[in-house]
Amino acid sequence: MTISARLTVMLLLSVFSPASISAAVDQSINDENGLRGWHFRTDNIEIELIQRLPDQTRAMLMKHRFSPAVIEQLAQSCMFQTIIRNVSDADSGHVVTIDQSQWRIHHNGREQGIMLKESLLESWGVDDADDAARLVVRWGMFPTRQEYLASDYNWGLTAFGLPPGTGFDLDVSWGVGDVQHSGKIPGIVCAPDVDTLK
Amino acid sequence: MKRLILLLLLVQPGYTPAAEILSPVPGRVMAPDFNLPDTEGKMHQLSDYRGKTVIINFWTTWCPPCREEIPSMNRAWQSLQNEDVIILAINMGEDEDTIFVFSADYPADFPLLLDRDGEVIAEWPVKGLPTTYVVAPDGSIAYRAIGGREWDAPAFLEIIRGLRVNQAASEN
Repeated sequence: MTISARLTVMLLLSVFSPASISAAVDQSINDENGLRGWHFRTDNIEIELIQRLPDQTRAMLMKHRFSPAVIEQLAQSCMFQTIIRNVSDADSGHVVTIDQSQWRIHHNGREQGIMLKESLLESWGVDDADDAARLVVRWGMFPTRQEYLASDYNWGLTAFGLPPGTGFDLDVSWGVGDVQHSGKIPGIVCAPDVDTLK
Repeated sequence: MKRLILLLLLVQPGYTPAAEILSPVPGRVMAPDFNLPDTEGKMHQLSDYRGKTVIINFWTTWCPPCREEIPSMNRAWQSLQNEDVIILAINMGEDEDTIFVFSADYPADFPLLLDRDGEVIAEWPVKGLPTTYVVAPDGSIAYRAIGGREWDAPAFLEIIRGLRVNQAASEN
């Protein structure tokens, strides 16, 4: 991806975790499409969140047999392209574990979890998505729980369940071996919908 | 500011290019068998390839890192196909027409198998795409890679060839 500029300041954040480590968070803007990205890095893990326009999600889902209601539900669910990588030294043997059900969104003084694909798939009836469409969600959305050996990475869509254009902070957590860590990615913004683009 | 950012990226501790690494699978469990058609209708049963090293790649056309690794996988295939190594790329959930159109931009000379209903991928410990397993000649899963790799990197080819050598040594 071509990124024209790293924006704002590089934030060196203390991470409130049992092991004392620090994380770096920075933002970027893709100068080709204007989409914003947030990058979170520690010695063991890299998390990248890149805005996804609701229309991008609509276009992807309309190729498959989803009901119009489900397409709108997902398009307006604050979808982000998500990449998580274990950046530990190859010889360290560090295994990173992710459980997205533990991640927390902070928005307008409220705290909530992210939209997990298991809940979405269970909530749809037979008319909302056929089997092939369900496979797209099952494999297109980020796995809720996953283990990463050194240099493993995964990508997928994460839905934060907020209206387009909404700002929020995200508490992320991960494990390195038996030790749990957590950190914050502040000031994330959901991509706007077409009717709010200028 | 740009220099600071560049410096911080360069000194990021512990970063190793993913292209250099395959992760050994502890316990070497036996690979789940399958019998799937390729895009030309030929059936491929994994157990029929016993005695060869089999690289099994799970992918879709709409997965960006899956697309990115196909050229290097094809180059690896050119290097290894006469050395008792098989590459089977299992597409998840798509049809022949979709893959046919895709192949015009991303040609692959190795078999592309069709797991239309996702039944085979469900039998393997796959969490995300792409995921690749290297099955040793004895049928056990020797290595895995989650995420894309540069499959024709010399270090990879050495590992793949090493499995065959180890098998031959154990038979003697």
